[in-house]
Amino acid sequence: MNTLKTSYKDVPEKYQMLGGRSMTSAIVADEVPPTCHPLGSHNKVVFAPGIVTGTNAPTSGRISVGGKSPLTGGIKEANAGTKFAQMLGRLGIAAIVVEGQHQSNDYYLLRVTNTGSELMNATTWSGKGLYEAYEQLIAKFGDVGICGVGIAAEVLGANSGLCFCDPEGLPSRYAGRGGLGAVMASKGLKFIVVDDTDAPGVEIKNAEIFDQGKQKLLNALTEHDVTKPGGALNAYGTDVLINIINEAGGLPQRNFSSGSDDRSENVSGEKKAEEIKKRGGVRPHVCSPGCVIQCSEVWTRPDGTDPVGVLEYESVWALGPNCSIYDLDTIGELNRACNDLGLDTIEAGNTLAVAMEGGLAEFGDGKKALQLMEEIRKKTPVGRILASGTETCGKVLGVTRIPTVKGQALPAYDPRPIKGIGVTYATTPMGADHTAGYAIATEIMNVGGKADPFDTKKAELSRNLQIATAFLDSTGYCLFTAFAILDIPEGLEGIVETLNGVLGTSYTVDDVADIGKQILKTERTFNETAGFTAKDDRLPEFMREEKLPPHNEVFDVPDEELDEVFNF
Amino acid sequence: MAILVKLYGTLKEKTERSEGTVEIEHQGIETVSDVLCRLNIKEGETSHLFVNGRYSGFRKRVKNGDRVAVFPKNMGLLYKWYFRREEDD
Repeated sequence: MNTLKTSYKDVPEKYQMLGGRSMTSAIVADEVPPTCHPLGSHNKVVFAPGIVTGTNAPTSGRISVGGKSPLTGGIKEANAGTKFAQMLGRLGIAAIVVEGQHQSNDYYLLRVTNTGSELMNATTWSGKGLYEAYEQLIAKFGDVGICGVGIAAEVLGANSGLCFCDPEGLPSRYAGRGGLGAVMASKGLKFIVVDDTDAPGVEIKNAEIFDQGKQKLLNALTEHDVTKPGGALNAYGTDVLINIINEAGGLPQRNFSSGSDDRSENVSGEKKAEEIKKRGGVRPHVCSPGCVIQCSEVWTRPDGTDPVGVLEYESVWALGPNCSIYDLDTIGELNRACNDLGLDTIEAGNTLAVAMEGGLAEFGDGKKALQLMEEIRKKTPVGRILASGTETCGKVLGVTRIPTVKGQALPAYDPRPIKGIGVTYATTPMGADHTAGYAIATEIMNVGGKADPFDTKKAELSRNLQIATAFLDSTGYCLFTAFAILDIPEGLEGIVETLNGVLGTSYTVDDVADIGKQILKTERTFNETAGFTAKDDRLPEFMREEKLPPHNEVFDVPDEELDEVFNF
Repeated sequence: MAILVKLYGTLKEKTERSEGTVEIEHQGIETVSDVLCRLNIKEGETSHLFVNGRYSGFRKRVKNGDRVAVFPKNMGLLYKWYFRREEDD
């Protein structure tokens, strides 16, 4: 970005079998000094579609984004499902590396087409909301994939995500976590616009094995109760989890002070699906073309206008029950504000809850919460504090109950009654992240052991889930494919065969663990060099001391158990 | 006192009250299976079951004052590797 120039390089041999997270983490580890300032000129932002992304393999439209996180100070990979990813894949682009830093107050747009790429001045969109900006970008460039950063990133807030478009162009698909939006903005880059007209498509080395694998995966996804048409994800979206986790006593309420509340049912997946039908929104919907699960949706205002995009489980929880807000319309407007300002909804909801505990608003006051979001839009001092994320906001306000690990706020499962996920929050190189240990089953990884949520022996479980997730995050397939391939072994075989089809390799299911381990080791080494030690692999102190109703559990997994997770 | 049963999703249609909450007398009820039987719900129609917030199986014992939550087949979405069904025999 120093010189505002673009250039192309052939993919080096060492990166040729990589994609998605394996690609972003390898490039970041090789090219970014771990001790650099995340918002300085030495950091980079790396975009990489998954290995099969851009093919017609089902549910494979994922893109990974990597860099050093201004929120955690460690390596970060965040991913999203979007046609932007598929377009990059079809253009034959394995990765975009954004480096350097432009030395002016101007912002730029990177346009990528089949005939080349160019940087154009985009300062006109500075200070504008992303809904308006994406509409104008589509009017200007046509049917394109868009990635952008919002006002929160312009103030270099560590609460800022990277916003990708949904199929209709709404700014609603986020690689949200870790503040990579601020890294992109710090370089002077505001948007990337991709047009895949006349693109050659993804090269497939062995079409026969690819087609065979694709069919196996498709069969698994359309047979399994969770992923099939009319299944949980398709009928209700991820928000189906509100009632389930609330019943389990693990849905954090009021800044992690209780694990259930009967009012949560007002913001459940069932309630939302009912409202969407009534209003004329869209459910089910895809985040990217070719998904057979179709967990997405389009939420609107009561009269069916002003579409927001999807209201995910994590977003509904963070902006809802965690702030004692139990009204879907208020949550919808808070989610709209997050999308418009370029904020990660999980971090934003946690920040609001901590701000409420710190006295900036009463718990449950949705109107005030929306006003606080406007402080970010106006770039006021309060707005800048909120844009900095949960930990900074909590410290400024003198709050001691701050639910973060490595500076990143916890997602929607309280780790006191669900201890396994707490081990993952504590130990993943990403900071508190539910998706980091959310993958292929223990059975597939040949791990026995009990899956009792209250049992404290969880290192092996978390380790294997993290390994499997790192693998899946590299393929381009959505993590939700894990539900099907957990129970139907041919589904995982299918995934591996499609990788072999694209890459010309001969991987087997037995290679999955080694691929995942290599990625985790790369990320862990980066963090260690950046200064992380075992003391960073811990949950906040209050979770070891405050009992969470209704089960009245504390997080009591011993430190020694946590330290075993990366012992491989 | 009775057993409070919370039905979700399409199972709400099994009750007359739209919010899906129903109280049943505990006489003759020993397990989750008995609760389902009382409400004319087949085991195959369910996915997740909870007794007092504990993830449970059909043979989990139920007593007076307990809360039993029942999710229909098409709402199954629990990260089952973090949970173990509790059974009593």
